Formats: sequence, C-alpha cells, structure tokens
Amino acid sequence: MRDSKKKDPRQSGYSRRRFLQGVGVAGVGALVAEHPLLRAAETPPPLPDATDRPISGNIAIVLNVNGQPRKVTVEPRTTLLNALRNNMDPPITGPKLVCDMGTCGGCTVLLDDKPVYGCLQLAIDVVGKKITTVEGIGTPERLSPVQAAFGEHDAMMCGFCTDGFVTSITGLLKANPNPTEQEVREACKGNFCRCGTYPRIFQAALEAAKAR
Amino acid sequence: MKQFEWANATSVQSAVKLLAEVSADEQNESARPMSGGQDLLTTMKERILVPKRVVNLKTIQGLDGIDGDASTGLKIGALATLAEIESHPEITKNFPGLAQAAHSIATVQLRNVATLGGNLCQRPRCWYFRLPHIVCLKKGGDTCYSEKGENKYNAILGGGPSFIVHPSDLATMLAALDATVSINGPKGPRDVPIGKFFTLPSDNASVENVLEDAEIVTQVQIPASAFAAHSTYVKFKERSSLDFAMVAAAAAVELAPDQTVRQARLVLGAVAPIPWRVPKAEAALIGKPLNDDSIKAAAELALDGAKPLEHNAYKIPLAKTLVRRALNSLKTA
Amino acid sequence: MAATKPSATTKPAPPAPLSWGPNNKHRLLNTRLPRVDFPYKTTGTAIYSHDVKVPGMLHGRILRSPYAHAKITSLDLSPALKIPGVKTAVARVNVGDTLRFEGDPIAAVAAVTTEIAEDAVHAIDVKYDVLPHAVTAEDAIKPDAPPVYPNDKAVENNTRHANARGDADTVADALKSADAVVEAEYRTPILHHCCLETHVAVVDYSGGDTATVYCSTQGTFSIVPDAAESLGLTASNVTGIVRHMGGGFGSKGGIGIEGRLACELSKQAGAPVKMALVRRDEFVMAGNGPGSWQKFRAGATKDGKLTAVHIEQYALGGLGRGSLAGQPYVYHAGVVYRSAGSIHTNEDSSRPLRAPGHPPACFAMESLMDELAYKLNMDPLEFRKRNLTDDAHLRQLDRGAKEIGWIRRSQTPGATPGPLKRGFGCACGIWGGGGGPQCAVDLKVAQDGAVNVSCGSQDLGTGTRTYMVAVVAEELGLAMSDVKENIGDTRLGNGNFSGGSTTAGSLSPAVKVAAMNAKTEIAKLVAPLLGAQPADVVFADRKVSANGKALDWTQACAALPAAGIAVRGQWKPGLSAGGAHGACFAEVEVDTETGHVQVVRMIGIQDCGLPLNRLAVESQINGGMVQGIGMALLEGRVMDAKLGVMVNSSFMDYKIPGCLEMPQEMLPLIDDDDTRQQVVGVGEPPSIPPAAAIANAVFNACGVRVRELPITPDKILMGLA
Repeated sequence: MRDSKKKDPRQSGYSRRRFLQGVGVAGVGALVAEHPLLRAAETPPPLPDATDRPISGNIAIVLNVNGQPRKVTVEPRTTLLNALRNNMDPPITGPKLVCDMGTCGGCTVLLDDKPVYGCLQLAIDVVGKKITTVEGIGTPERLSPVQAAFGEHDAMMCGFCTDGFVTSITGLLKANPNPTEQEVREACKGNFCRCGTYPRIFQAALEAAKAR
Repeated sequence: MKQFEWANATSVQSAVKLLAEVSADEQNESARPMSGGQDLLTTMKERILVPKRVVNLKTIQGLDGIDGDASTGLKIGALATLAEIESHPEITKNFPGLAQAAHSIATVQLRNVATLGGNLCQRPRCWYFRLPHIVCLKKGGDTCYSEKGENKYNAILGGGPSFIVHPSDLATMLAALDATVSINGPKGPRDVPIGKFFTLPSDNASVENVLEDAEIVTQVQIPASAFAAHSTYVKFKERSSLDFAMVAAAAAVELAPDQTVRQARLVLGAVAPIPWRVPKAEAALIGKPLNDDSIKAAAELALDGAKPLEHNAYKIPLAKTLVRRALNSLKTA
Repeated sequence: MAATKPSATTKPAPPAPLSWGPNNKHRLLNTRLPRVDFPYKTTGTAIYSHDVKVPGMLHGRILRSPYAHAKITSLDLSPALKIPGVKTAVARVNVGDTLRFEGDPIAAVAAVTTEIAEDAVHAIDVKYDVLPHAVTAEDAIKPDAPPVYPNDKAVENNTRHANARGDADTVADALKSADAVVEAEYRTPILHHCCLETHVAVVDYSGGDTATVYCSTQGTFSIVPDAAESLGLTASNVTGIVRHMGGGFGSKGGIGIEGRLACELSKQAGAPVKMALVRRDEFVMAGNGPGSWQKFRAGATKDGKLTAVHIEQYALGGLGRGSLAGQPYVYHAGVVYRSAGSIHTNEDSSRPLRAPGHPPACFAMESLMDELAYKLNMDPLEFRKRNLTDDAHLRQLDRGAKEIGWIRRSQTPGATPGPLKRGFGCACGIWGGGGGPQCAVDLKVAQDGAVNVSCGSQDLGTGTRTYMVAVVAEELGLAMSDVKENIGDTRLGNGNFSGGSTTAGSLSPAVKVAAMNAKTEIAKLVAPLLGAQPADVVFADRKVSANGKALDWTQACAALPAAGIAVRGQWKPGLSAGGAHGACFAEVEVDTETGHVQVVRMIGIQDCGLPLNRLAVESQINGGMVQGIGMALLEGRVMDAKLGVMVNSSFMDYKIPGCLEMPQEMLPLIDDDDTRQQVVGVGEPPSIPPAAAIANAVFNACGVRVRELPITPDKILMGLA
C-alpha cells in the first residue's frame, strides 16, 4: 500500500507548501514582541469606518453589548464570539463556543434584534450594531418569560445549548409574538441540543408566547 | 484564522482596487471580498482560504437593493440578504420559486446575514475540499478523492475531473429564471448570463465560476417572463433541520390558455458542479399539458446521461421524484 | 418499635431498614420539580469549564496526527515558539514514535490568544514517514492488513477473539427443526458523543504548590490524580472543580490527554492554561461510541418460540476493544452459541457511550426478532412476548402498544396506499445501574435556618442538584427554596464517578441519611423547647413540632449552636437498586419516493423504582429517544479507507437530530407499576431501544429492511429499486 513516490496529500500542502510548515504572519500587518493584548492599540478612526484604508494588528473598538458600551481590543480575525468570551474583561460567556462554524446555534446572539451566529461575525464588523446576548435578556433575579418557561417545562438538561435557544426564541417572539409550534421549530432549527430537550423547548416557547 | 488586513470599501471601484493591489503567491492567499461572510469565514477558519486581505463590501452604499416588479423584472443587489429575499413581497408574489429557494437555505441565523452574492460564490461542500489536511484536486493536488472514495453526495452529471456539486440553491433557481449576473472588476463591468457564470471542472477544477482576480458580483437581474410567477423550488435534505441539498429541482412553467406548456424551465441542483439545466426535458413538455405522463417523461429525460459514482446512484430516482413534484405543483396557474 | 425489656438472652433488634416509603406518598420526590439551577442555565450565568477565565490565562491548542498510521521522523517546535505571544510548547511524542490514528496528539502550545495558539500549531514543523493503515473493519480483517497490534498474540488479522459460550453444533441441530430461520448480518457505525461542550480543562496554576483545575468531566474527583501527577504536586494541594458541564455521555473521565497537556504547558509557562478541543479534534481524539458487526443465524418455531441462536459479535472500537452487550439480549432462546470479539483499526479508541454496547446489540436483536416474526407471519409484538419472562418488559410492551395504537398497524409492510407509508416498530432494553457507598454528603443547618447540602459529585445535566435539594427539603419538611446546594468541587465530600447510571443511586441515599442525621441533631436540641422527647419531634410544613406545640423553622433553628450543626450522610443499603428495563415504540412515515423517514410518534416507557424527580426522568426518556433518532436515521462516522481519515468530522457532516427531526408527539412515560421503593438510575436505559424501534417501524412501513445503520434516504431508495 505504501508508495513513497506518490505525492502525499498532506505533505504537498495546500498551495504547495507543507501543511504543517507555516510562515507565521509574514507580510500581513505589524506584530510586536510583547503581549499583544497589552500593546497600545493603533489609533484608527472609530469603526464602522468606510475609509478604504486597510487595517490590521490590534485594534481598540467599542461594542454595544446588552445596552452597555464595552471596550475590547481585537484583531480583524477575532470573531464576535471570541471577543465576548476571551478578549473582554469581564468576559461575556452566555454565548457558547461549540462548533465555531455556524452549524449548531450555541453562539446565537441578537444583532439589531435578529438572531445571528456570534462565531460567524467578525468583531470589527459589528461595531455600531446593537448586540444582545442571553445575559441581556434576563437575569436569575429577573427572568424573562422565555427563561421562566424553560424552567417550568424542564427545557434543559446540561444547559450548554440553552443560552442559544433562549436567544433564538427571544428573537423569534420579537418578530412573531404568536407563533405556531411549526414556526417555533423552523425558527429554532439552527439550534441543536444533544441531550434531547427539543420537545420541552417547543412547549416552553409556546408558553412564553402566551405569557407576553 | 490566519491574520489578515481588513478594509471597509466605500465603493465598487475602491473595493476592486483594494482586491487587486494585494499580490499573492498562491491562489488561496488572494484578497477576498466579504459580504455576509457565512461561507468565507468557515473556509478561513480552517485555513482552506488564507486571504491576506478581506475587503468588506457591506460598507458600499446601494448594493443591497431589491427593485423592480413582475413587469420590469427584478434587480437584486449582491448584498441583499437571504432573509430580505425570502420575504420581499414582490418576490414572494411574482417570483415565488426564488423566495422558496432563499427560504430553504440553512437557518434563520444564517439567512439574517448571508447575501445573494455570497451564496452564489460560496465554495463547495465536498468533504475532501473542506478537510484542511487533505489537498484534493480542487485545492491544487492531483487527485479528486471523491471519484473513487466516499462520494455519496457528489456529482452524477457533468463531473470530472472534480466531482463536486454546486451548493447554491439560489444559483439553481436563478438558472431557471434566466437570470443575468453583473460583475465588476479591474477590467470594468460585465454581465454574464447565469448559464455561463458557473463553470465545469473540465475547464478549471480549482474554481466554480468565471470571476477573475479582484472581480465581484454586484447585482443579479431576473427578466420579466411569463413563467417567473409560476415557479417553484423543491429541495430534499438528508437532515431537514440543517443540511445542503441532497438533490434539488427548480422549475418554472408558462401555461397557455388551453393549459398546455408554452415555456418551461427545469434545472437540477446538487447533481452537478453547476446548476444543471435540462433543455431536453423542457422541450419535451412544450405543447403538452402537465399531467402524470408528460411529467414522468420529463423527469426521465432530465436524468439522461447521469453517470453515478459508486455511492450516489440514489440521486437518480430522487431527482426524478423532485422533478415530478416540482412540475406537479405547477399544474394549475 | 415496641419496647422490650432487656434480657440476657435477647439480642437487640436490628434497626429497621431504611426506606423511602411508598412511592406515591412523597411530597416532593416523585413530583415534577423544576431544576434548581435553571435560572443560571437560562441566563448565561452558569459557568462551565469552557467559560472559566482566570488572570494571565493562556490558551492551549493541540497538534494532532493527520495520518492514521505514521512514524515521526522529525519534530521541531521552534518555529512555533518564535511567534510573538506564544509562551511555551510541549511535545507529547518523540522522533521515532509511531502515531496510530488520525487525531493522535503530537504536541501542544500555549499562547496569549486562541488565534495565536492556532498560528503556533500550524507553525510546528513535523515530518512523517507514512505507514500503511486499516481504518475499516473490512480492510482490517484481510490477511494482508497492517496489524494494529503487531506484538499482541491475542490478536490475529486485527481480530481479538474474546469468549465463546454455548455449543455451535447443538445450535445448528436446533436450527434444522425450526419453522423459520433468519440468517442476517447487522452493522452499526462508530458514533460520536457530540457533547456540545468539547473536552476542556483550565489549569489555574502559576508555579508554586497549589493548583485549581476546572474540567468538563464526569467525575470531580477524577480530576485530581491526573492533574497532581502532571503538575508534580501533592494531590491534597490540587482542587478539582466541575460545577456545570456541557454533556458527557460517557466520553469524559479524568482530565484527558488535553488536560494533561494543559498541565504540562502550565508548569512550563508558570501560568494558567485553558485547553479546549476544537470541534474537529473532538471528533478524532476525544473518543467515540464503538460500532458493531453482528452475524446471526436464528430459528423459531411456528408457535412463536425462539429456539436457536448462533451469534458472532464484533465490537469495532478502533484501538480499543469497544463493547457489545450479549445476545440474545433480553430474549430467551432454547439454545445459544455466542462468540464475541473486537476488530481493531487505526482509529482512536472508543469510550463508553450511553449504555455502552447495548443500543447496537438491541438494534441487531430487535431487528432479528422482527425478521423472524415476519417469516412466521406473526405479530412481532406477540412474538416478543412469547420469549420474554420479565414482568416489567411484558407490561411495558402492553402499555406502549396501547399508547401508540399498535392496533392500527398493518402486518403487511407497505400497506398504506400512496407514496407516504406508515409503519410501527418496538423494542426493549435492559440495564443494571445501582448505587454504591462512594458519596459523602455534608448537610449544614445554620442558626438562622439556612440549609446547605453539599457533595463533591457532579451534575452532567441529569438533575443532581435538584434531587439533592428535594430529598433534604422533603425530609426536613421544608420548601425547595429553603435548601441550597453545592456540588462539583473536591473540597466537598467525596462523590462517585458518573457512569453506569449509578449517581442517583449512590448519592440520593447519602443525602437522605444526611437529612435524617440532621433531623436527629435538631430534634435533640429542639425537643426540650417543646416539652417532648426527641423521638416525638415532627418536621413538616416548615415547622418543627411535638406535644401539640410548634415552632416555625427559623424559631426552631435559633436553638442551634451559634455555628449551626453540620452532619454527614453516607450511603446505606435499601434505598437504591439496579435493574432497569424499558421499551420504545415508534410510528414512522416513509416517503418511498425520496427515502425520507419521518418519525411521527414516539413513546418511551421506563421503570426507575422511585422517580426522584418526574420532570427530570421524563427528560432523560426524551433524551434517549432523541439520540435514538440520530442513531437510527442520521449518525455514523464515515472513514475514507484510502486516506485513513474521518471525512465527516464536523457538525454539518456528522448529523445529529435537530428540531425538524422531532416527531409530532414524543411521549415519555414513567412505568409507575414498578413500585420498588428504591432509586434506580435512568441516565442510560432510555437510550437503548429507540433506534431499534425506528428501524422496525421503517420495515413495517415500506418493506425495506436496512441492516446497517443509519437508515438514510439513499438506502431506502436503493432498497426499493
């Protein structure tokens, strides 16, 4: 089976370089040899900024999260999800990192009241937008109707998908206050649960709709 | 993701300039335009694409409009979101197949952000393409691993040397609506009929469409036609909740007053590297009523020439079913 | 107990065995209790290991093998270390070592951001000598297949034969006189746990003598030995914490290789390190549920007796042995020959997956039972009942049949007119479980009346916190909101490891004993205030009363010492038991023109002795059915035999069920005819029969018998062609 002459798909490397031999970040922006997150950020004009000017490296931005202006330093490649969970201090950890590819809904946030995947937004691309995470929907002391209904109907088990579902359903009810169960299913089909709590999630959503 | 420069473009011209001025040693390092980013970012996260610069098109004014109507035809900006397309009253009423196609895509979270342009230009789903550590033919290697490998989801028509299927639902439906794609780039603007926009791997296995370096899609036009209002999109998914099409069918029909077919458009999705228009099946419907016999005959003809790989022969009966169901739903005006 | 005069010849009567009392006499237990942690889980305030952020924390990332079988010929970490922001790196293998599966970890890095850690992993320079591999069972058993275990004499052609039971000739004879014989091979693929929270450890260590390790694991106390060893610390100086975890399903024990690498990085860097697997890594190096290959020859007589079963079973566990429950599973057969073994491939080792070995064994046996029934032209439900002796199975089958409307079923597959065909199927499961004495529960009652119950045990989403509170609240006559709980921390009392559905059975008795001990202590202190004997004190309605007098709870607690009381409870026998059954019924609709299978209705019946919390038990039953839909219709690892890699290592391509896969109605039923006054764990049993029930329903609907899961549309279409 072994043919050392045959070009190996992994050793030829995409773009004809060895897959595992990287070239770091040559040629793309400037990196300094200190802790990047402590480095004074460049002083670009505030984003969103349509100036045609390419930016790179560490950038200080302000994101509107749950009604608060939150300063955070990011690179262009930093997703909104990672900005919330890793870069911000204190971090916002309601939206979860589960698949990082927009295929599970665990990172769902509301962007201008619409459900989107936090992992498929770049942080610099959502400056100026209204970002709502599950923390902005309710607190243990003041649960939203959706959150209360989740408790009443036992619509969670391990809970890791729960923040995403609560956010999706909150977004749904903003747009469609009186959905049918089929509409709830369609609205939530981007959210996945491995523990298998779906039937009770649907009940909780319909209950919450009634409560509004 | 690898590091990159980010630029918010102010105009199509500056976007093109920002794309063109970045030189890249390798194709996968070329500057990329980004609208919704729902596919681009996934390829960047796994370093399938490692653009040195990403140019944001969303900061360009005027690329997201949906204008026109049944009598003038539609002009849809490349930055219109799938959510906007699926719910636009003109589209749902007079170009229903397009609304259905947009609605069938992915999930609410994705459709709120994903755009027409990005949907047309998305890269294939073939798992050999998507696996970061496999250098398949399309990524510059010398073997299409799906051809003799795990090819359940790969092409039964038009394949070779790559056997991807094109993943865009909008592409399939727009092909049935005779759409035209407007492009702009370093050589200026040009319009390409959608039937010529997507390219077969026999031309160049490493791309899926005619876009050249630094070119972007700016708009799609759908002409007024007698069949646009009588259109439908049928998509079959292995997993209903979230999946790309296992097979899809787009159909549009103009019926004469005597209920016979005057014009027909039939395009298969997820069977070939491009939206697969089936003119022979369309021609067989002309002058006939849409009944079980004529529909069955069209369905058979539509799969003429299909060459299944080891694991995807099921696509033939499945595609025939979807053609039958699509045409059945258009039996009455 | 009646008083007896002490006598030299009378032994003291043994204490009355502990009992929960009749199941239908509880105030809180066996009712529908919302989870006490729901306010945290629904508001983003429950902190999972994945959410932990400590000052100075670095992010780890692992480089793993892209090959199924390869030798490392060179390994250079220095290009990674040159990247600004990369603090340290560690190699897990040496030059000359052999990697034996795609995903085999090679090295790890720690950097100030996850993005830079990813850059670092890509920068590591590795050279491989690629070796031949076998990643499918078919390839592995060929005579010229490369051996996965070349030096293991117990493995031949990559097959490890374990044991054989019974006599093959006797079975062959019995088959000769059977009225119906079925010869069939059944296959299930490797499955994935798909925990939403990937394997993750946060090692909060900055040099020095102490460390705290947060880890998504099924055993709080399994964190410490691994971490202490890796960090070079004494165990008592290491704290393990898992307060919330995002799913385990059997895959998470100890701190894993990812946790150990995090410890090494942390030691080297002198800084905390968080190591969370990315999703592709989770698929190829964090365990899987083994596949199965089962070859049957079985016969039955026309009176519906299963007379002979010859079965060869192979567990497909990659590098591991996998697991497969014995056949003929729950059924009685006249004579049985069973041989069991494993087939090894160059894939990561399997780990327990929810009722390990049972769902695949159940799928095969229940398909076989159906195939025999159809050959005999007998109702498959009736055929089953004639070969079951356990009352629980019989009554669960009867109840399920009634609930689903088995009477609407047609014996002839494909009978529904039109392309959409309906069918019904059923299956049974069986599980052990039980409980043991590992848990040490602490219960504190403060002078101001605050009650706190704690144990180091963990909650995978099973509802541990809630029943701890409920047991105490019921015992002390309090409301749920009067009791607070603490779990998931090694500074608390010892807890068991969550596996085998034994946590509820191990923990709840210890909680009850703690609560009873608290009552004893409080009664002693409060009785004098009531002018009564401690034995007369009653705890009910948030009051403590005796002798016609009552103090409310807060008043009573004022009699406690300033520091309150603290008691401990340990497990005692009599309160838990093993032995769960379970049955599942499914009604499906098959679109014979597309191959799509839609589950229309699904019913799961589960016995569990005393249900500690009916809401939680029902959710477990639902969860088992949902996972069964995935196993039956969608899930399975796909390997490219030539490249040796998993091609569907993503949530797009490994398809777990979502909202639209759910039936119109999913009904979880607790089998209250099981009146055992003991807690019987149900974490696993409900996940055993559902896939089998669906597979049988598919056959009944359209006449296509798919013997290799998952039953995807292509298999239906090709089966009908």
